[in-house]
Amino acid sequence: MASSSSWEEGDAAAAAAAATDVELLKRAWRNEKAAPEILRFEAALVARAREQIQLLEETVEEFMENGVDDLVVSLYQMDLDRTLFLLRSYLRIRLQKIEKYMIHISKSNLWNRLSEQEQRFAKRCTEIMEKHLEQSVLSKLPYGYQSMLKQSISSEEDDMVPEPQLDTFVFCKTKGAVGAFQLDDIGDEIVDLVADDLYVLRYKSIKGLVESGQIDLV
Amino acid sequence: MAGQSDPHISIFSAPEVEFLAEDEVVEIVPNIRMESLNMICGDFGPFFPQIPSKVPLWLAAALKKRGKCTIRTPEWMTVERLTQVLEAERESPREFQPLPFHYVEISRLLFDHARDDIPDIYMVRSLIEDIRDVRFHKVETGLETISGRTHAVKLKNLSAMEVNIVRPFMVRALQAFYKHDSPQMIQQADTMGSKRSQGADRGPRRDLRPR
Amino acid sequence: MYGRRASQLLKELGSCEAGQLTPFDSDSFDQVTKECNKHNLQLQSLIRKIEDQNLDIQTTRNEDHFGAVIHHLSLTRNKRCLMAYMYNRAEVIQSFRWKVGPVLPQEIQEKLNYSEEEYFKSHSAAIESYMSELDLDLTVDMVPPKDPYIRVRVLDDIGEVCLGDHSISLTKHSLHFLRRTDAEQFISQGLMEEFLE
Repeated sequence: MASSSSWEEGDAAAAAAAATDVELLKRAWRNEKAAPEILRFEAALVARAREQIQLLEETVEEFMENGVDDLVVSLYQMDLDRTLFLLRSYLRIRLQKIEKYMIHISKSNLWNRLSEQEQRFAKRCTEIMEKHLEQSVLSKLPYGYQSMLKQSISSEEDDMVPEPQLDTFVFCKTKGAVGAFQLDDIGDEIVDLVADDLYVLRYKSIKGLVESGQIDLV
Repeated sequence: MAGQSDPHISIFSAPEVEFLAEDEVVEIVPNIRMESLNMICGDFGPFFPQIPSKVPLWLAAALKKRGKCTIRTPEWMTVERLTQVLEAERESPREFQPLPFHYVEISRLLFDHARDDIPDIYMVRSLIEDIRDVRFHKVETGLETISGRTHAVKLKNLSAMEVNIVRPFMVRALQAFYKHDSPQMIQQADTMGSKRSQGADRGPRRDLRPR
Repeated sequence: MYGRRASQLLKELGSCEAGQLTPFDSDSFDQVTKECNKHNLQLQSLIRKIEDQNLDIQTTRNEDHFGAVIHHLSLTRNKRCLMAYMYNRAEVIQSFRWKVGPVLPQEIQEKLNYSEEEYFKSHSAAIESYMSELDLDLTVDMVPPKDPYIRVRVLDDIGEVCLGDHSISLTKHSLHFLRRTDAEQFISQGLMEEFLE
């Protein structure tokens, strides 16, 4: 890693900058796995990881052609395999969340958290699901009850859309001391979030901290 | 169909927890000379015979498996330290002693791959098993104390494997208490307590009335 | 009793092991949709009855109104059950693309209705096109990788075998360092075991 003097400030941003992309990817993977809703797509990170994977793939190939020691080749291969697994698993978890909550995602501001490709995937999935439910259930129901989103014509809002349960509890660790943190809207539930301590909290109450990268889900 | 959450989606499998543990850094003593490894996950080496070097556990295990190094037992994995930890675990029924977040997996990987490098391996293994048991018992008794509308549980020093084991039950229990103790479900005078909710208009946003 | 059959559909779902499917219960499914339409007819006739009496449909709270409400609620409940049945099955069907692959074996296919078969194909195609846009196969690497090489102990005399570009002699009790993929066939046959020192 490059070492520039400006990084020696010791603040959180510097620490994040000093982390390798693999560490960042691992964090993104863990958070995505543990969060009930889909998080913001780590576009730049994924792009960097893919670039490094490609570079290493080329290097490994070169090594093999040039008869570099099997040992070295197999060690690099393992590094490659590990990074590829993280990347694939990260992208896969996101797809599985989209599969699960496609309608909710496409109708809320979660939409902006998706990559372009994910948006196309979500759109297509929704159309396919719509068609499937339409021909197998909805078209067979009486007029007024044929909506996929509403139970009936008299529902005021969409009340048939599966949503992630934000009330669920998650295990999390803070990176730095967050300090006194308000756990509910009213403010009489305060917890002092100490660095590196492990907590079980309602996802909803720490959602902002996850999004801003101050807390990690484990 | 609204509000269903798949409990499986957010759980790490045992191989995944092990995968994470394999990135923990250990010290090896190589018996070969090898140039620096500039890997995606970081730069390691150069390696010289008999000169200790720090590498991730997966790399250490790979080198060890190929007969290229010995692995130094981490400082916390000695009989002396583990004996202290075990005693302290037994003495404090409500606290967990600080151990590496992946202590269970690290020790297992080392038992599997570097058996001959660990002094007093049988003692070390049995101490770690005892520590696991004592800690797990604490987790279980800790779960019994969940009651009422708990907003936060602090589990200082709980390890990754312990988190993973306790997660499904803990999450379900907390959710159930949260839901059933909501002011919408029981309209009663609030019991005062720091972990209890007191407002009347609070609680899960989920509407329980038929729509 | 209203709604009983619909709840049985869901019980069928619930009794099934996670990630598994029971055969599509078209019998119950059709009966429930029929029930829905019957509720609607009765609902409509009660509304007509209120209107015929020149009563205000919004404010009337007589027996016909409450009858209509019951039919309406029974209908929406049935609809929720039907949708939950289809939707939850669809989720399991989606997961087959990841677990089984793009072609379903006969014994799974038999459990799907026509629309579900179509759904599986279209959904697979959507995943396919996402992966080709990305130029990355996401159906491999489902579990964390391990060292591609493994140390094994031979448990029985296997003899001379050809692995890759060289042949080795696998005699009983001998130790070898092999590609995991090469060793796995022997391990699954009980002829080798992973050797941990």
